[in-house]
Amino acid sequence: MRIVIAEDDALLREGLALLLRAESLDVVATASNPAEFLAAVDETRPDVAIVDVRMPPTHTDEGIVAAVEARRRHPGLAVLVLSTYVEQAFATELLADGAHALGYLLKERVGRVEQFLEALHRVADGGSAIDPDVVAQLFARSRPDPGLDRLSAREREVLALMAEGLGNTAIAGRLFVTEGAVHKHIRSIFAKLDLPPTDITDRRVSAVLRYLDAVPGR
Amino acid sequence: MPIPPSPGRARATGVRPAPDSVARRTLAALERLGGALGTALLALLLLVGVAAVAAASLAGVGLLLVPATLRAVRALADRERARLGRWGAELPSPGPVPDGLRTALTDRTVLRDVGWLAAHATAGFAVSLLGICLPIYAVRDVTYPLWRSLLPADLADDRPWWWAVDTGAGQLAVALLGLGWAALTVGLAPVLARALDAAARRLLAPPPGADLSLRVAQLTTSRAAALDAHVAELRRIERSLHDGAQNRLVAVTVLLGAARRSLVRDPAAGEELLARAQDAAELALAELRGVVRGILPPVLADRGLAEALDGLAAGCPVPCSVAVHLPVRCPASVEATAYFVVAEALTNVARHSGARNAAVDVRREGARLRVRISDDGRGGADERSGSGLAGIRSRVEAHDGTLQVTSPAGGPTVVEAELPCGS
Repeated sequence: MRIVIAEDDALLREGLALLLRAESLDVVATASNPAEFLAAVDETRPDVAIVDVRMPPTHTDEGIVAAVEARRRHPGLAVLVLSTYVEQAFATELLADGAHALGYLLKERVGRVEQFLEALHRVADGGSAIDPDVVAQLFARSRPDPGLDRLSAREREVLALMAEGLGNTAIAGRLFVTEGAVHKHIRSIFAKLDLPPTDITDRRVSAVLRYLDAVPGR
Repeated sequence: MPIPPSPGRARATGVRPAPDSVARRTLAALERLGGALGTALLALLLLVGVAAVAAASLAGVGLLLVPATLRAVRALADRERARLGRWGAELPSPGPVPDGLRTALTDRTVLRDVGWLAAHATAGFAVSLLGICLPIYAVRDVTYPLWRSLLPADLADDRPWWWAVDTGAGQLAVALLGLGWAALTVGLAPVLARALDAAARRLLAPPPGADLSLRVAQLTTSRAAALDAHVAELRRIERSLHDGAQNRLVAVTVLLGAARRSLVRDPAAGEELLARAQDAAELALAELRGVVRGILPPVLADRGLAEALDGLAAGCPVPCSVAVHLPVRCPASVEATAYFVVAEALTNVARHSGARNAAVDVRREGARLRVRISDDGRGGADERSGSGLAGIRSRVEAHDGTLQVTSPAGGPTVVEAELPCGS
């Protein structure tokens, strides 16, 4: 897997590169500002870009802007955004065009190396990885949806993990239940949200979108 | 920056402390009475002038002198306002006397000033004179037995008292009378001083319902500047926390995570990663320390401004003398601002001035703290060139203070800040 890292803090940039290289991943370029990052992406055509939200010159949302621009230039480029804070505005800006091959994680998750690598691979394979804190914030701010309100607590947990981008096996692992149980919950979620049984993948995306749509302003 | 109140800091906050002993209270009252007597003497002279001009105006010729006279009255009244402001709440000046004879003569603040002049030149003069005479009588009479023998015989028998003083008992009685005067001084001087102040304040305060728009505009501007400076300060702190300690700590977790993964595969590499993680943690600590120092230097809270400034001067590569005259401490925020002014100025001295000597002078004058940093360097300091002076200016102005930088090419450079201490 070819990776480009954009992070303005030198120590963190080197730390990340060190970590990924130790895992036999191919860090092809590192950048400390948006311009360098875009040039590196153009030149090296990586599979995944890992981008810090706050970068020079204004240290606000340069990373998001650069990530969106990189995906515009190279459709399908997988992007994993790292942030010090959960910013719902950033999340919605990123997810505006769907959550395919997209991740948004708090920086400190990188320290949980196994989960971080799992998320990185998921994003590289076209899936999504949304930080549990982001998901929790989206849930907390969602406006009342009779469909969502019908969900049991367990079904909400499953839906939140689906929103994070986890597959059934991973969800089963997180919740310490069997995959069969996860299947059952998901079928129940589809039923309560009135999603007709046409195509399993579509319904899965629809459920998550329904849940994300419940966020005001989106 | 709001500082949570703590018992240890109580002495550093706020208002001029109440004089804590009878002697200090009496001395403070006498100082105020003395000041009042001074302006009362001037008022008496000016009142004679006003009367003369008024009389001459009846004949017509005096009218030419009226505007100048009114300006003199306003000047004296403003002087008294400033004097009263040093002992209590600030009294805003109504500003210059309006142009035009008719407008000036019907202006309420002008008429009130003239009323104050008449009252202060007569009743104010009498009361302050009484207040000042009491301690003089006390000293004269208490010491009478000591110096009577030095008097020529005819004067010694001249009797200002109602009893014979050529006996020891008579002289002792004079000394006891002196003690009586002293007791009266202690008891009466604060009362007289307060009464005088209250009366003068009543007359010199802006008339009720007066146009306070000027003062309101001033306060609005300084308040907006304070809020701006506050926001800028918060942003600075947030930035330094985010870019510094927070990123360092993320790096620590990343390195620790990598180290844990390596421990099994490659213990040597894991060891190296752990060492890096420790370095990053130490960096985070150092940066946190810097941020904390930038909010409120701990030495300032613990030791006070004088010692904090000594520390700054000692750390300055250019030899620097420090003179601090602070009879009472100023509010913590004012001291912190003064500290940052000196810190920034000395940084500039060390970096840009090429000076061989620098001097820091901090003194409290009435209700204001004056901070002066001078050097014998090459001058030419420019506030716009990002020397940090602009930041200091906004910090000073946020406290309703003023900052002056004079730095002609060739030097010397003088940075002067004046900060109100509250009262």
